[in-house]
Amino acid sequence: MKKNLQNLKKLPYRVSLIMLFFMGSCLPLIAQVLASTSVQPDAPEIRLLEKTIRGTVNDADGGGPLPGVNVLAKNTTVGTVTDIDGNYSLTVADNVTTLVFSSVGYQTQEIAIGNRTTVNVPMKADVQALSEVVVTALGIKKETKKLGYATAKVEPEQIAVNRTTNFMNSLQGKVAGVNISSLGTGAAGTSKIRIRGQSSFGGQNTPLFVVNGVPINNSNFGIASDNTNRTGANSDGGDGLTSINPDDIESMTVLKGAAAAALYGSRAKDGVIMITTKTGGTSKGIGVEWNTNFTVDTPLDYTDYQYQYGQGENGVRPTSPSPTSGVWSFGEKFEPGMTQVLFDSVVVPYAPVRDRIKKFYRNGNTWTNTLSLSSGGEKGGFNLSLSNLDSRSIVPNSNYNRKTINLGFNQSLSPKFNVSGSVNYSIEDNENPPIVVGQDISTPVVIYSMSNSMPLDVLEANKYNENGDEFIWSRFRNRTNPYYALSEHFENIKRNRIFGNVNLRYNLTDWLYVQGRVGQDYYSRDQEYNLPTGLAFLPDAPSGFVNGRYVQENRKFNEVNADFLIGANREFGDFGVDLTFGGNRMYRRTDRNSVQVENFIVRDLYTVRNGVIKDPIYNLAEREINSLYGAAELSYKGFLYLNATARNDWFSTLSPANRSILYPSLTGSFVFSQAFAALPNWISFGKIRAGYAEVGSDLDIDPYSDVLFYGVNSNLFPLPNGNLQPVGSISNSTVPNDDLRPMTVQEFETGFDIRLFDNRVGIDFAYYNKLTTDQILEAQITDASGYTRSLINVGESRNTGIELLVNLVPVRTTNFNWDLTFNYAHNNTEVLKLGLNPGDTIITVGSGIRGELITQIVGKPIGQIFGYGFKYDDQGRQIFSENNGRPLRTDTQRAFGTAIPTDIGGIINSFSYKDLSLSFLVDFKLGHKMASGTNFNLVRHGLHKRTLVGREDGYVVGDGVNENGEVNTVQTPIQTYYETAGASNIVEDYLYNAGFWSLRQVTLGYDFTRVLPEDFFIKGARLSLVANNVAVLKKWVDNIHPEQLPSASDNTVGLEQTSLPVTRSVGFNLKVRF
Amino acid sequence: MKKIKAYILGLFLILGLTTGCDEGFDEINTNETAATSLNPSYSMNDAIISASFPTSIFIYELAIVQQIITPNGSSLAGANFNQDNQARAGIWQGYYRNVLKSTVDVLDKTRDSERYFNLYQMARIWRAYAGMLLTDTFGDVPFSEAGLAYLEGNTVPVYDRQEDIYNEILRELDEAATALDASKPQVPEVLYGGDVAQWKSFAYSLMLRAAMRLTKVDPALAQQYVTKAVNGGLIQSNAGNAVIRHTTLYTNPSGAWLNGSEANNYFLTKNFVDYLQGNNDPRLASFAVRYVGANSGSDQKPALGTTDPSVQIGMPVGYDNSTIEPIWKAAGLASFYEYSQLDRTRMGAQTAPVFFLTYGQTQLLLAEAVFRGWAAGDAAALFASGIRAHMEELAAYGADTAVPEEAIAAYLQAHPLEAGRELEQINTQYWIATFMNGPESFANFRRSGFPDIAPNPYPGSEIDGDFIRRLTYPDAEDAVNSANVNAAVARQGPDKLDTRVWWDVAQ
Repeated sequence: MKKNLQNLKKLPYRVSLIMLFFMGSCLPLIAQVLASTSVQPDAPEIRLLEKTIRGTVNDADGGGPLPGVNVLAKNTTVGTVTDIDGNYSLTVADNVTTLVFSSVGYQTQEIAIGNRTTVNVPMKADVQALSEVVVTALGIKKETKKLGYATAKVEPEQIAVNRTTNFMNSLQGKVAGVNISSLGTGAAGTSKIRIRGQSSFGGQNTPLFVVNGVPINNSNFGIASDNTNRTGANSDGGDGLTSINPDDIESMTVLKGAAAAALYGSRAKDGVIMITTKTGGTSKGIGVEWNTNFTVDTPLDYTDYQYQYGQGENGVRPTSPSPTSGVWSFGEKFEPGMTQVLFDSVVVPYAPVRDRIKKFYRNGNTWTNTLSLSSGGEKGGFNLSLSNLDSRSIVPNSNYNRKTINLGFNQSLSPKFNVSGSVNYSIEDNENPPIVVGQDISTPVVIYSMSNSMPLDVLEANKYNENGDEFIWSRFRNRTNPYYALSEHFENIKRNRIFGNVNLRYNLTDWLYVQGRVGQDYYSRDQEYNLPTGLAFLPDAPSGFVNGRYVQENRKFNEVNADFLIGANREFGDFGVDLTFGGNRMYRRTDRNSVQVENFIVRDLYTVRNGVIKDPIYNLAEREINSLYGAAELSYKGFLYLNATARNDWFSTLSPANRSILYPSLTGSFVFSQAFAALPNWISFGKIRAGYAEVGSDLDIDPYSDVLFYGVNSNLFPLPNGNLQPVGSISNSTVPNDDLRPMTVQEFETGFDIRLFDNRVGIDFAYYNKLTTDQILEAQITDASGYTRSLINVGESRNTGIELLVNLVPVRTTNFNWDLTFNYAHNNTEVLKLGLNPGDTIITVGSGIRGELITQIVGKPIGQIFGYGFKYDDQGRQIFSENNGRPLRTDTQRAFGTAIPTDIGGIINSFSYKDLSLSFLVDFKLGHKMASGTNFNLVRHGLHKRTLVGREDGYVVGDGVNENGEVNTVQTPIQTYYETAGASNIVEDYLYNAGFWSLRQVTLGYDFTRVLPEDFFIKGARLSLVANNVAVLKKWVDNIHPEQLPSASDNTVGLEQTSLPVTRSVGFNLKVRF
Repeated sequence: MKKIKAYILGLFLILGLTTGCDEGFDEINTNETAATSLNPSYSMNDAIISASFPTSIFIYELAIVQQIITPNGSSLAGANFNQDNQARAGIWQGYYRNVLKSTVDVLDKTRDSERYFNLYQMARIWRAYAGMLLTDTFGDVPFSEAGLAYLEGNTVPVYDRQEDIYNEILRELDEAATALDASKPQVPEVLYGGDVAQWKSFAYSLMLRAAMRLTKVDPALAQQYVTKAVNGGLIQSNAGNAVIRHTTLYTNPSGAWLNGSEANNYFLTKNFVDYLQGNNDPRLASFAVRYVGANSGSDQKPALGTTDPSVQIGMPVGYDNSTIEPIWKAAGLASFYEYSQLDRTRMGAQTAPVFFLTYGQTQLLLAEAVFRGWAAGDAAALFASGIRAHMEELAAYGADTAVPEEAIAAYLQAHPLEAGRELEQINTQYWIATFMNGPESFANFRRSGFPDIAPNPYPGSEIDGDFIRRLTYPDAEDAVNSANVNAAVARQGPDKLDTRVWWDVAQ
């Protein structure tokens, strides 16, 4: 307590009276108190006389009945919403005199009831005040005009109609400043999301996901992350978002900056994605809705190989039965009638094999069905949905199934007491998630890089030898025959997950409420996979056993968030005050039980018990964050708003001295269109805003990273006398650090929101300047230090950028509308400081398989691709070795540019004619580089068209000079020449501009509702034809789709390794209301 | 109503004054599933077991000394084509990340400890062993500051001059060997079971090896430490060998490699086979297998395999898998898969032991020292004893690898040490006696110039000289420890395969 106070004194501006007053309170007890007070409502106050008011709400401008309008008895929590026909019915206490009608896009109206029992209301469109409501931090709904920071609202149709298995991927290119990448790892793979760039050097940069006010887990089990630390598991096990069915989402808000997210503190340094799920219907009685979505997913083939010279090495085709390289295409020029010998004795024509991507992969499909039941009444409602998703991957043995049940409810127990909650249960069954990158049993690597005259049918027919083991088809035994891999390798991931929360709210008076909320996210995740017996690269088992490997892993994850909130809202003349105070306790526990066995007693029985060498691991990690926070909002005349927040977090992962951190925010908004009556008419709405916030984070600090641990091997080793002795060693490969502090993000943002010409032009602009200090650097260090990584608190970086959202309505007529939305974000990053010494100007955060690195360099943008380049002399002539004519590499490594796009955006054109609508989305990412591992392989394997140079002569003479400055005349054998980049790790050879323009989505929809007969059992129907990943309009990288990347990790951003082809999905979405 | 409000407010006040918001955090942040301390002898075991040579010795060392080679390129390209394959940093990673890391930790936990007094000395000796192997391989390397990222926070260790490293190694071996004390507690470890006497003789034998390494650069110092080593007491029999006996649970990396992904890719060289054959060396039968008539890798079936030394054929050095075709055709072979290989069911097995330092090698080095007049004794007898020791040592690979006594006697009879050829004979025998110990074989080849082998003639060599004389630093060093690696390069010469290390003076 004392320490906390001292810390605060050091920061004079960080003073919040309320915060100080309550600091040190223990939250669980508070929650208990709240719960105990909440369940004892004052009985006398609810049993008054009641009356029922009915009526219809219409659009005042003749737009017909308005569904979904909120109707509230003033100064109470009793309310309802209008049904599909604009009708409502509300039973209120007899002393209620006024009803409040509100709806997004309309002016809120207070209507006196008088003696009436029927109150019909025309609603006036609210272009002036723009009372759009969004869900802000902690689940508090606010009008956007009050906000001093940028938010983006996502309409449910944007993710539900033209959908993707991981629902976030369907938002690619749709939200300004949000960079979403789907990966080439299969439909159920990870979605990589970065808001306003990357703030932490190669650490955790994923936004926080909050469902109904409570954070959910979005652990990533992707490639190069925590899928498992065992070898041979190069599959993307997905992230936490796949458990969500987009049909359950009612609204989504993206809180982009620190100011918006300040109340989430440490967990939200990269923004927050707020998801509200459905908790009630609009219709009385039971509303039934059915949505079905079916797409066919086709692999996109961008390969453009040379098909003039076939399989072989050094200009010779395989003519003897030795195992061929299988992958080299440095053979002979194809001539009719030539043959080659494969698989010891199979003689086949020596001819090019084209379209291998289409031949090996199949067309996948994805079918989702959701049935939802909902009801909305005077005192509340519920929404229950059942869904099933079946995804059949383009990889022939890979399937993914997800079943979800989602229940949301909302009930007023009394005029003052409301209970709401939601629960989401999902069962995910991921069968054979595709293995990508690397070599071993990775089908895409082999399919993309094997030689161009390898017939796939022969490969398939010869997958087994006479013992049932893999037939050795290539002397590179790690290049597993892809058909053998499909038949013999298995992996199963099953996740059962339940998350949800219960929320109790009690209105103490009409201006003061207390709220208590408990949320939990729990899942169990079972994973198993094998390396099959007989796999060519596995060493033989000792006599009497068979080789192979099997891993069985069970994880349990549990996160509990308990929070309370006290809110007060009063108006004093022209001034309004809105105070909120709350606290949160987050507790997270992860259990991991993993056993790997090698070699088996009984063949083809993959169980732990049947294994000979057993290596079990059990980990348990716990962390807790306790927080107290408060917010105060002052408003003046509904056009000037000032909002201050403060939050204090205590982290269990840090040492007592560094455990507590307080961060403030201050934002303001000025609605000038409302303040100045003299503004011209064509300005419909105008607001300027500015904000400053700080947030901290311990996300990059794993529990227990402060201590050195020892691991004991599971097997003993014999002493010379035969007695067995344990073997153990330090298990940390990252140097432990017991003095880590939370990192801090300080962000300033400003912007404006302006609507012109009767809302036909809308511009929302934001500028931000984000300084990240005390970064926790996980830097690669020299092996000679004994460790491979260090974790220290020193990095500093700055992100600056702009976000622009332009809405245009070029045509607006009764029947025909054309809407155009353009979103664009430009993000600059700069590394300001690294390390403890002034000389520390570079750190390495990650590396690819061929020596290409991702580094952070002072003065340069974050995420530099780093490595050796070709060597040039002062006159710019390339230098070749005088010994062998091969290109030389630079003496030291250098930076080639950032792998993070600087410019992203999208253009959506929507046309509607009566009930027919058409929209298409073009998106782009520009300004970044990639090191293409696929093209690296294609060049050294002789598949790349570039390697045709010199084939006629049988040698290459590099165009340049030798070390002595003389013109290079050395004739280098073809294969030797093109293998140079591989042998010497010359990254420049496979460095590409990673940018692209793509036609991302096309949606054609027709609403049948109006043509349905009255009293028909179907009340409404909408059919949409959808297409996703339609075409790449412009790209710079050869042979692959620029988004065909395997990893969501920022440590390997831009280091492409061969992964699955990107798929184009074409299908339909049908939504029917009963 | 008012009551409730007052109640809540009051409770807040009380709570705020009595409890903290980080209660229980210390307990939460305690790992209940991992150990924070360990008996240092178990860490010592790790340091010793992880010293088994990584498979990168097949890319470089074994090919440089022309014992085992592959005609295949790409990821296997290295000394077979005199190329710098940057993807290989096996010794560097294995020895720093595991061997030295654990050794340095053992030193830290045993320093000033009475119970672990002897273990501390053993760790000093093992550190000297690891440091010597690293500096012999790369030249100037981090040593005095190596492995200290946690203990001292040093993440950018300086590269020490090789001369300084050798001085430290010699001094450490001297001090540690002297300090070892059988009257103090002996804790078991996997190399010698904690036997102080055996560690002592290992330390002095390692000192002899280090001293002899300096014959070209500093004969005086070499002689001084030869004397010290001999006086201290060298290994006296194969029972004193420093060896790791691999098991099915802790496999030999080379064995796993030769029985796994590279089973059909490595061959004994023509030079090696011819030399053994030409001298009727019975060890050839222990080393080699030839799959007569094998058409392909998968055709190397056990039934085709023969260990008969007379039918072994080594693969000539200097060819790739295309250019070797006319050669094997001319030799009447079915494919290059018919060339002799290290027998992966015996010396190349996954359970094959790995010898770090042996009695045989020590006897041969001592023979040279005697020949140079630096020690007393009979060089010819030591020479014979060294050969015999190595032949007898092969029994450790299994009964089918043991050399029969008659064959040993016959060989020794036929190959006495000849006047005027002593250095050649001793060091050529050392070449055989270090078979499968690539780093030591490579170092002694550079020092002694023997065996007398022809340079690898593969065209397009990346080296200017005849042989590779060191391995290059891993690329990553340029990014993670650039100032220190640059200082080393400035001092030692370009970071190339050609550059000679300090003790490898050109003659």
